[in-house]
Amino acid sequence: MASKNVLPPIRLNRIAANLLGLCVLAMPSMVHAANECPWLNEATASGLLGGSAVGEFAGVAGQPAVCTFTQHEAGGTRTLQITIEVATDPHSRLAALIQSCGTRTEPLTAIGNESVACALDPRRKTLGERAFGRVRDQVFTITLSSSLKGDPVLNEDALKTRIYTAAEQVAGNLF
Amino acid sequence: MESTFWPRTKSTAMSAVMVAGIVVLGCCAAQGQNKPSGPGPQQDAASLTPPPAYTAPPKGTPPAEDTPAQRDALARLKMKAEAHTESERAAYNAAVSPSYNFHYGPKNPFLPGNVQVQGQGFLQPDAYPSAEYCGTCHQEAYSEWRQALHSNAFRTPFYRASVNILIRDKTRGIAFARHCDSCHNPIGVLGAALTEDSKVDRAKFDSDGLTCTTCHSVVALDSTNGNSSVVMGVPSALVDENGNRIPGMVSFDQILRHPERHSKAVMHDFLRKPEFCAACHKANLPATLNDYKFIRAFTAYDEWQQSKFSQRNPLTFYTADFTTCQGCHMKRNPASLPDYGAKNGTFASHRWLAGNTAVPFYYGFDDQLSKTIDFLRSGNYLNVDIFGLRKQDDEKLYAPLGRVPFSLAPKDVVEAYVVIQNKNIGHSLIPEVRDLYEAWVEFTVKDSAGNDIYHSGFLKPDGMLDPRAHSFTNRPVTDEGDFVDNHKVWTIHSVAYDNTVQAGRSVLVRYQFRLPENIHGAFTVTAKVNYRHLRQSYLNNIFGKDHPAYPVVELASRSRVFNIGQNQPESPDPADNPDWMRWNNLGIALLDQFQYAESVAAFNEVVKLRHDYPDAYTNVGLTEISWEKFGSARTAIRKALTLDPNNARALYYDGLLQRRAGNTAQEIADFRKVVELFPESRDARRELGITYYQQKDEHNALEQFEALQRIDPDDLTAHYNLSILYRRMGRTKEAADQQAMFVDKKVDPGAPTYSLDYLRLHPEISTESIPWHIHSDIASDSEGTEHGK
Repeated sequence: MASKNVLPPIRLNRIAANLLGLCVLAMPSMVHAANECPWLNEATASGLLGGSAVGEFAGVAGQPAVCTFTQHEAGGTRTLQITIEVATDPHSRLAALIQSCGTRTEPLTAIGNESVACALDPRRKTLGERAFGRVRDQVFTITLSSSLKGDPVLNEDALKTRIYTAAEQVAGNLF
Repeated sequence: MESTFWPRTKSTAMSAVMVAGIVVLGCCAAQGQNKPSGPGPQQDAASLTPPPAYTAPPKGTPPAEDTPAQRDALARLKMKAEAHTESERAAYNAAVSPSYNFHYGPKNPFLPGNVQVQGQGFLQPDAYPSAEYCGTCHQEAYSEWRQALHSNAFRTPFYRASVNILIRDKTRGIAFARHCDSCHNPIGVLGAALTEDSKVDRAKFDSDGLTCTTCHSVVALDSTNGNSSVVMGVPSALVDENGNRIPGMVSFDQILRHPERHSKAVMHDFLRKPEFCAACHKANLPATLNDYKFIRAFTAYDEWQQSKFSQRNPLTFYTADFTTCQGCHMKRNPASLPDYGAKNGTFASHRWLAGNTAVPFYYGFDDQLSKTIDFLRSGNYLNVDIFGLRKQDDEKLYAPLGRVPFSLAPKDVVEAYVVIQNKNIGHSLIPEVRDLYEAWVEFTVKDSAGNDIYHSGFLKPDGMLDPRAHSFTNRPVTDEGDFVDNHKVWTIHSVAYDNTVQAGRSVLVRYQFRLPENIHGAFTVTAKVNYRHLRQSYLNNIFGKDHPAYPVVELASRSRVFNIGQNQPESPDPADNPDWMRWNNLGIALLDQFQYAESVAAFNEVVKLRHDYPDAYTNVGLTEISWEKFGSARTAIRKALTLDPNNARALYYDGLLQRRAGNTAQEIADFRKVVELFPESRDARRELGITYYQQKDEHNALEQFEALQRIDPDDLTAHYNLSILYRRMGRTKEAADQQAMFVDKKVDPGAPTYSLDYLRLHPEISTESIPWHIHSDIASDSEGTEHGK
C-alpha cells in the first residue's frame, strides 16, 4: 500500500469523470491466493456465508483490489465480494458508486467515514445486499449474495444484518 | 436518497466553538448522521428476548433446597458441560494452533499482554455466552453496556486506526497487538485470533469488545501490573452446590432457582474493587513490545491510590470519604428496564461514564453522549479560580480577587493568576492517554462590548488548538525527537512534557495582557477548562480532515468583571472555594512550580486564616523541606504535631527531619506510626525501609520493601534494595529478578535528550515544559519572549 497508481477512467459517470484520477491500493504484483485478503479472513467470511467458504484475493497494480469468498451448496452458491480502491476524491467516487442503488439506500451508521447499503439489483436473479462506503480515501464495495432459491441462511433479514457486520469488519481493517 | 454523508465543509474553529456550546446543552446528533433505522451498532434492549417470569424471594429467604434428583441432574449437566467444553477446546486448539504465531515462544502465547486463561491452550470464542443471553435477565445492564466504552473497546475507529498501524508495522505485526487487544479484545487474544493466518471468525466477538462474560469470567487478579493482568476462567453462569463452576450457558430456570449460585459464578468480590479496574486502567510498554525498555504508559489506578479517595496515602493535601473507581464510574441509578440484578430498583451503572464523548458521538449513542457530558460537568470535579492580579511595575499581588480592593487603568499591563484545582477527580486531569485526549484552559478578556482584548486557548479554523494554550496534555517523543502521533506507543522513548494535574493538586496558569488605551467601564475575564475527546490531529489521522467537529465540553469555568478605576470586594460565588482553600491551592501550585518562597507565603496566608489547621503548618514545613530550609521546616512541623500529635502527614515529614538531624530512634518511631495508621502508604513504607537499611536492620528493611512492592510493583527503590537484600540473604534468583526489573524500569539517562530535540524544534510549545511560565501576547514588546510566552 505504498503508492497510488492512476487508473484510466472506465465507465465513470459525470461525477466520477470529474475526478482527477482514480487510484487503487497498489500491490507489489498480481496475487491470487486464498487466505490473503487483507480485510477479512476466510473464517469470518465463512461465518457470514453460513458455511465453509473459499477465498481468493486479486490485487493487480492499477486496478481495484478484490477479495472473493464463495461457499457452494447443492442448489447454488453464496458469495461475498469486497472491492477496495483508493480515490483522489473519495467522496465523489463513493457518490458515483451509490448511484447504482437508485433511490433505495439505507444508511449504515458508524461504518467508516460514510457508508450505505442497498439491495442487489432486483433485475438480477441472485438475492443480495451491497454496502458502499469509505475510510478516508479508501472506497469499498461489498456484495453479499446467494444464488440459492429461498436461501434459508441468507434471507432478506440476514442479508441486512450480515452486510453490516461485513462492512464493519472491512472498514475496521481499513482504518 | 438517504445519505449518511458528512457535511463537505471542513470543520472550522467557529463550528467547533459552536459545537462546544451546543454540545454542552444538548448536542447529541450522531456523527452527521441520523439514528440507525436498519442494522447498526445500537441493538437496544427491545431486541432482546423478554425475561422469564421471576419474583425475587423476600430478603432473608434461604436458598432453595435441591432434591436428590435435582442434584443428580445438575451433576449430570455439569459433567456433560465440562466434557463438551473440553472437547470443543481441544478441537479448537488443534485447528488454530498449527498456524499460530508463537512469537514469544509456546509458553507465552499472549505476550506482550499479561492476560492468562485457565486450562490448556486457547479458549474458543464460543465458550463465552453472548451478551444477549445475559441481557435476557439483565436488560438494564445490557442496554447501558451496549453504548458504553467497554462493549465498543475494540471496534471503534479511534482504537482500530492506532492498532492497525502496529499490525501493519513491518518490524512488528499482529502478534505485538496482543499487548493492546488483551484489554480491548481479550476474547480474540485468548482465542488465537491475533496471528497472521487467523482461522478465527472475528465477527463473533469483535463488535462486543469486553462482553459481559469477559469481566464476569475473571477468576483471579494476577497482580496490579496492568496490561490485562487477570486470569480468565472458562465462562460459567452457575456453580453447583459445592461451588464448582459449570461451564457455558445453563437454562434460565436453573439460574432463577439458584440466583445465589449464579452470583457465585459471575460476581467475585474483586469486581467491586479498584484492583480489578487496575488490570486494564494501568498499562506499561514492556521491552517485549518496544525492544527498548519498560516505560510506564498510564496508571489511573496508582493515581487513585495516591489520591484522597483511597484513604491509603497520608500525604494528600485534602481528605475525603473512601471512594472506589466504581463509586464514581458505576454509580447506582434507578433501573428503567427489567433487570433481576437490580437492588431496591437500582442498578450499578454499566455505562462507566467517564470522558469519552467520541465513541457515542460516532455511533449516535445519544443517551451515552448526553450522560457523559452531564457526568463531566457534575461532581464539582474542578475548581477554577481567577485568584489574583499583578500590574507591571507593581510587586503587589492583588488577591484573593473579590476580597481585596484594587484599581486598574487603561494601558495597564496586567498579569492574571488562574488557579485550577483538581478538586474531586480520583485521578489526574487528564488521565491515561494524554497524547490523544485534550483538556485545556481557554482564557478570555473581553471589553464591555464583548470584543476580545485577549484570547488564549481558542480553536483555529482547522480545528486545531491554539498551540500557545495551556493544555493538560503531554508530548511523548521517539528516539529521534518526533512527537509520537497516531498513538504509536511502541516508538515512545521519552516525554517532552506532561502537564497533568494530579488528584487533589492545583496548577497556576498565568496570563499577561494589556488593557487598551481607549477602554472604559467594565471588562470581563473568563477562564474555562475545556475538554475534547480527541485531539484534532488524531481525528484527522483517523478520518482525514473532512470529519465533523467533535464535541468540546466545558468542564468548569469562572468569570470576573473588573472596572477601569476602583474595584471593591464583592460577595463570593457559591461555587468558590473558601479563602483559606484558595490560598492553599495557590501554595500547592507554586510548590509544584518550584516557587518555594511564594509557596511558603501562600501557605502562611492559610495559617493566618486557620490557626488551628495542622495541615497549614505541615504545608509550610514540607515546602521548606523541598527548599532545604530545614530549621524553619522543623518549627512548622512541630507546630502541626502540637496541634495533632498523631497527624500522619506531619509525622511523615517529621521523620524526614529527624533523619537529617540524626535522631534515628525518633525517625523510626515517626515512620512506624505512619505505617501503623496507613499500612498502604508507599511513601512511609519506602522511607521506613530506607531507615532500617541504613541501620543494617535487614530483616525489617526487607519487610518494608516487600510491602512496598505489593502496593506498587514498579517502585524502583524497592527493586534496588530488594536486589541487594536478597543477595545478602543468599536468595540469588530473587536478587537477580529484582535487579533485572530495576535495570529495565529505571529511567534511561539518554531519554531526556530526545525530549530536548523535540522542544528545540517546537518553540511554539516548548515553554509548556517549563513549570513556571507565562502566557502573553505582548511578545513584540518583550525582548527574548518567544511566541508570546
